[in-house]
Amino acid sequence: MRFGEVVRKIFMIEILKGLWLTLRMLFSKPVTIQYPFERRKVHEGFRGRHALVRDPFTGKDKCIGCMRCTTVCPSRCIHIKREKTENKMVVIDYIIEASRCIYCAYCVEACPVCALVLTEDYEYSQYKIENLVFDKERLLKNWDEFTKKLEKDYYFNKFWQPPGIDPSRWPKTKREQGPIQIKRVEEIKREGIDESHGH
Amino acid sequence: MKTDTTRELLINMGPQHPATHGVLRLVLEVEGEIIKKCTPYIGYLHRGVEKLAEDLTYVQALPLTDRLDYLSSIINNVGFCLAVEKLMGINVPERAKFIRTMMSEMARICSHLVWIATHALDIGAMTVFLYAMRDREKLLEMFEMVTGARLTVSYPRIGGVRCDINDKFLEELDKFIEEFPSKVEEYETLIDRNRVWLKRTIGVGVITAEEAINWGLTGPTLRGSGVYYDVRKFFPYDAYDKVDFEVPIGKNGDVYDRYKCRMLEFRQSAKIIKQCIEKLPTGPILAEESPRIRMPSSPLKINKEDIQFEIYNDDKNAEDFIKKFTEVYASVEAPRGELGFYIVCDDSAKPYRMRVRAPSFVHAGVLPKLCEGSLIADVIANIGSIDIVLGECDR
Repeated sequence: MRFGEVVRKIFMIEILKGLWLTLRMLFSKPVTIQYPFERRKVHEGFRGRHALVRDPFTGKDKCIGCMRCTTVCPSRCIHIKREKTENKMVVIDYIIEASRCIYCAYCVEACPVCALVLTEDYEYSQYKIENLVFDKERLLKNWDEFTKKLEKDYYFNKFWQPPGIDPSRWPKTKREQGPIQIKRVEEIKREGIDESHGH
Repeated sequence: MKTDTTRELLINMGPQHPATHGVLRLVLEVEGEIIKKCTPYIGYLHRGVEKLAEDLTYVQALPLTDRLDYLSSIINNVGFCLAVEKLMGINVPERAKFIRTMMSEMARICSHLVWIATHALDIGAMTVFLYAMRDREKLLEMFEMVTGARLTVSYPRIGGVRCDINDKFLEELDKFIEEFPSKVEEYETLIDRNRVWLKRTIGVGVITAEEAINWGLTGPTLRGSGVYYDVRKFFPYDAYDKVDFEVPIGKNGDVYDRYKCRMLEFRQSAKIIKQCIEKLPTGPILAEESPRIRMPSSPLKINKEDIQFEIYNDDKNAEDFIKKFTEVYASVEAPRGELGFYIVCDDSAKPYRMRVRAPSFVHAGVLPKLCEGSLIADVIANIGSIDIVLGECDR
């Protein structure tokens, strides 16, 4: 055994080196966050809780009942009830079983009218599994809850216009889709009237 | 007169044991501290991914594959995509290839960080766990920035990738890669020469090169025994033939050498990512002929054919391809070893049969060879060193 090795063995150099490293860490900035009290900012386009976009012009959802999302869903958790009346398709109910969803966002990508979105909410655990079956009203409520938290007054999901695919392949509505106004159109109008009265 | 003899004791290790990395069950026959027989039982996480894929189209089966090896989901996706691309004869654009390579290496670092964290924790070094998880968090955040998910990303597409990456992501990745080698040195300071670590790993779970090949081992587990084999070098896919990297190999084939191999792979992965950032070309990120969700020209006119998936661009091309290749095998170098996808195609949009060659499954089979004759405490070190993920093993 060489002299250096003996010294290393007796004085535990390698262990002291490790301890020195951990001691240094004591004075560095903490990397953890205290979760329920502070929250990490989620990046744009995070695939979280489902919502149906509320159209600012009509105040209703934008779904046209084309069944594209139900066809594309790998876990088959989207169910649409629809009726055909006088050449027009009427969507009666739109159900997503969130407990079966695998959050691939294929439905968001497939939707030709940008009616569906996976929002950035991620805290929606429930005690009962029935509460995770979102119907149309619940999905619209999810949208309202999500937009309330938004800082901007418009919203755009990056999966609506997937950047990999050439725009010429998108349907016209998808191509022309801009950021969605969150405020209702009537409210915007009313504000305009108030301003004019003020003048 | 009856003599006192020791009897063999049967110990059930798992499926709930925290050190078995999931739901692996080992039935150990022990005599004192020495293991006489070790039998691994798998299948507690079986979800039937292969069978499910038969009922889904190629595009739909893609999100299933990142549930296999959930620690490096991108590499699983890439493996599946490569198989389908080979089947259909799709040429992936250059930019997509580089992005895939970059993301694959990020996933490899991610997976190896979890490995070093849990492996060290099992053997008794707690601090490494905390440091590794700290660095993994940054990578996961970068995944989230691009793909919208942290773990099950479904990012690669058949014929390219899903979203383009932006400069903000590249800057952040560059920053991470700059300081990453110093982080690896931190882990090595803690355990590389630590006498407890050396006692627990050197000479434990030895497997010679010949035996390792005979057992069908791949990846760092094989390279630890000194065999030079890497899918990235031997059968280059994506942009691996355009980047320069080395394949670290060990010598003795024990737990320590496998550990060393993976630690060196950290640096090679960082090197590959750096080259990818430098060489990243511009251009499209999805091939023209890639299968896609067919979009109608106007939302009011809906045909039944529109709703169904369009798999081929032109039907005449499809027939040619099917005549050419009815079955394909494509493999990628996953963090655990060679991950292969074997797809049999009949003329429909769905795979007739999909078979996954999972490295974890093969590696779980070698556990009796490694454990028998050694101590109970070494079982944990062996499980850690072959780095199995039961999601992939049971599929």
